[in-house]
Amino acid sequence: MLRDTLKKLLSVYGPSGNEHAVAETVKSLIAAHVDNMRVDAMGNLIVEKYGADENGKRILFSAHMDHIGFIVTDIDENGFLRVHNVGGVSPRISSARHVVFENGTEGVLYCQPLKGEEMAMKHLFIDIGAESRQEAEQYVLPGDMAVYAPDYFELGDHRMASPAMDDRCCCALLCELMMYLDEPKNTVIGVFSSQEEVGIRGAKTAAYSVNPDMGVGLDVTAWGDTPEVKLPAIQLGKGAAVKFMDRSMIATPAVRDALLQAAADAGVPVQREVLPFGGQDGSAIQHTRSGVPAGCLSIPCRYVHSPAEVIDLRDLEGALRILLKFVENV
Amino acid sequence: MRTEDFLRESAALPGLSGNEQAVARYIADAFRPLCDEVRIDPLNSVIARIQGRGPKVMLCAHLDEIGLMVSRIEEDGALRVGHVGGVDPRILPGMRVTVYGRETLLGVVGAKAPHLLTAEERKKNYKEEDLYIDLGMPAERVRQLVQIGDCVTLEGGFTKLLNGRYAMKTADDRSCVAILLRAAELLQRVDTAADLYFVASCQEEVGGYGAMTAGFGVDPDMGIVLDVTHAKTPGTPEYEAFSIESPTIARGPFLHPVLTARLEEIAKANNIQFQQEIVPRYTSTDADDLEAVRGGVPCMLLSLPVRYMHTSVETFDMRALEESARLLAACCAAIDDTWRDDLWI
Amino acid sequence: MDLKTLCEINAPSGNERELRRAILEEARGLCGAENVRIDRMGNVLAFRKGREVGRPHVCVSAHMDEVGFIVLGATEEGLLQFRPVGCIDPRVIVSKRVTLGDQKLPGVIGAMAIHLQTDKDMERVLGYKDLYIDIGAKDKDDALAHCPPGAYASFDTPYTPFGEGFVCAKALDDRVGCYNMLELMRERYPGDVTFAFLTREEVGLRGSIGAGYAVQPDISINLEGTAANDLGCTESRFDVCCPGRGVAVSFMDNSSVYQRRLYQKLNRLADKGGIAHQPKRGVTGNNDAANFQRAAGGALACTLSVPCRYIHSGASVCCLSDVEAQYALTRAFLMNA
Repeated sequence: MLRDTLKKLLSVYGPSGNEHAVAETVKSLIAAHVDNMRVDAMGNLIVEKYGADENGKRILFSAHMDHIGFIVTDIDENGFLRVHNVGGVSPRISSARHVVFENGTEGVLYCQPLKGEEMAMKHLFIDIGAESRQEAEQYVLPGDMAVYAPDYFELGDHRMASPAMDDRCCCALLCELMMYLDEPKNTVIGVFSSQEEVGIRGAKTAAYSVNPDMGVGLDVTAWGDTPEVKLPAIQLGKGAAVKFMDRSMIATPAVRDALLQAAADAGVPVQREVLPFGGQDGSAIQHTRSGVPAGCLSIPCRYVHSPAEVIDLRDLEGALRILLKFVENV
Repeated sequence: MRTEDFLRESAALPGLSGNEQAVARYIADAFRPLCDEVRIDPLNSVIARIQGRGPKVMLCAHLDEIGLMVSRIEEDGALRVGHVGGVDPRILPGMRVTVYGRETLLGVVGAKAPHLLTAEERKKNYKEEDLYIDLGMPAERVRQLVQIGDCVTLEGGFTKLLNGRYAMKTADDRSCVAILLRAAELLQRVDTAADLYFVASCQEEVGGYGAMTAGFGVDPDMGIVLDVTHAKTPGTPEYEAFSIESPTIARGPFLHPVLTARLEEIAKANNIQFQQEIVPRYTSTDADDLEAVRGGVPCMLLSLPVRYMHTSVETFDMRALEESARLLAACCAAIDDTWRDDLWI
Repeated sequence: MDLKTLCEINAPSGNERELRRAILEEARGLCGAENVRIDRMGNVLAFRKGREVGRPHVCVSAHMDEVGFIVLGATEEGLLQFRPVGCIDPRVIVSKRVTLGDQKLPGVIGAMAIHLQTDKDMERVLGYKDLYIDIGAKDKDDALAHCPPGAYASFDTPYTPFGEGFVCAKALDDRVGCYNMLELMRERYPGDVTFAFLTREEVGLRGSIGAGYAVQPDISINLEGTAANDLGCTESRFDVCCPGRGVAVSFMDNSSVYQRRLYQKLNRLADKGGIAHQPKRGVTGNNDAANFQRAAGGALACTLSVPCRYIHSGASVCCLSDVEAQYALTRAFLMNA
């Protein structure tokens, strides 16, 4: 079940560059359903399911495992940790948060008094309860990363919130896709990528080494359906979104249209997405080697990059049906 | 084909970055009588080859253009748009645009009338979110014909001014594609040693992805990139804008010093006027991306000065275009195996 | 080749020819001419075959280029107008000496005498559009005859040891890395090693794009000189790293999150070998490791830096014991990779 798979993935620690625990969880979920799995130097987990047709295409789907976090850059004499952001963290929504390190050390992220300045990362610190640098260093060293404490909860019948929804919901989607694929004619390669949040870095090397015929990024997108938010014209619960463009990529028309066609064939609602910002793994696929037709299927997600990223599970389930049809069609 | 006809016809075709199919097909057809092989690659770059035995040279000018994409359809049928490439929203109010929906539609870019603005508001420029496209039809009809993601091109006029100057949409960079075509024409009767790849690249305006991917496929020994640069108009900064009357050859850390010096010598030997352009950092052309393909591609950069860049009235001088083509052809004719030697010592 | 010789050669980004020649000659002598080549971006790649098979291929890299200037043109009076190549704060260049072109023509960067400046002038930062290089030319033609547009200039700073174990020079970023690579090249190691001397780091990590693709190593160790910000009673959280406390090992910067297992291995090796080391705590800045880490199918990567004060100025300062520590840790890694 998609919902259960998602829950298993939402509670795993995995800031950019430290995704191995997520990769292990994914492996345990899908090992029985794929033909091979490997982890590359960048920490991407690359899984493959062979197609029945010798002349079939090699289709790559990429969903990133990492999420945003905080890296410790200094520990002061009183044991407070200074941090820098890993990925696109808003300092404003980070203050007064419960955070966790890989070894389980818990902390409170808080902000020093501001003297008329705008809040920035340099004003934030983590309190792990230590009383001195020496005590703090027993638990945490510079270079260690913290994330918003793993969490999830359900909102109404269909929606769910978590700090790791971006992009574990698509990791769950990709896991389920690999599980549901039954002797596909095309070879399907799943990349659970690393370091997307710091600049689409993992997908770049994965796309190069996989060298597919076609690719689709799977990621969350922004929303336009809460008070005073209008763009993008995307609503939760109205279906997954086929991307036309964002700042990293103009979707290849053939792939974009094939995704729209797959949605129509599957009888699943779908939205069209023109995002004036942001980027995702699809761009790394499109721009690798001599160019690979690539697009992106997005899951609408409210409050992206906050401790409570909200999606509608119906959109995720619809996306699974679209992808299954897409693999069959192309 | 006459250069003027090529420019007029290509300017009328849509070619927004990433959605260049129509203009790519047209350009491929234009190269076909001049080249040994012509193909359109998976991302819409046109790759046309005049086969030779010597060094592989990639000549590159981009075929894509800046424009708009429908991002939302309002209740009343007004279209909101996002930009593809660097579109200055200040040029948009009152512009006639073409919307490529289920039908090709004329639209007008509207904004709140000045009479209704406060004195304070009137001092500010319009932002993209203040503007909309009016299709002059009821909202239900708009929704039947237009969807989010449809492409919108800027006004596509082509105007002949005095003294062989022309104003058009997409002089950036179809004027340079015209240089490629003209150079290919001039080379028809020349037995060149070099293996020449004329590449009209896609997706330059959103990041040089066409030059990057086409370059990977071609895997050339060297590159000559053509793009537009700024022509002088009142107030343009010194050293960053040039006379409209002749092309520029650029020098700087992103361009190969030895090859560039050879290009300059060829210009002098053929009495072709050129200006020197010093670029201390990124050139902001396909050269930045082609240069970084695989293990590296040593590049030269030849630019055509254009006034009013990134508007629908980009203006250039036809003689400068013709001279650029003559220089490019002369350079292609001169390149032989010795050009691969001693580039770095 | 000693550090003094390396620092005093001019090699602004895009014009590394003189240094490339010097390094090429030295590398050929150490590795054998057949093992040294220049790639398509002007990088020097020297290969050292390993003694054993089955070991990872390690690429050790450092960039040859330094920040400098490029001439745009000249005023009617014969003063050269110029722009920086790489990032140089214009506030650090007034009243400094430079040399221009292959012939190393001396020039000075002057500014209007303070006596002639108004109070308002004094508050303003002088930008590149206000500054000129004076080579003593009579007029525009004279100036351009000596230094045509496109001519490069470098700071003219003699390499000078000072204080206790410190040195002041131009281009310590990254001649310290070049120096250590030439030293490391004297030995053979268990595994294959490529030493990559890179072009054009300072204008956006360019040379390493080509070298990364050409070499495609399993592991990349990038040697750098990096910004230190330790003096003047700064708070420790703004230090980045401190001269005299050893080689700085990076866990993250603006262009890379380094793989943790490699970062930890380097720390363990330094601890075991008694090599002075510190984490590089500032996470801003970019370097060539990014392009090795993410070339083609990807590699493990880390950056080992010598802390340098006043980086990107005419007078950068580092501690020689840190240069030795960078050598020692890199060597320990190559012996154990």
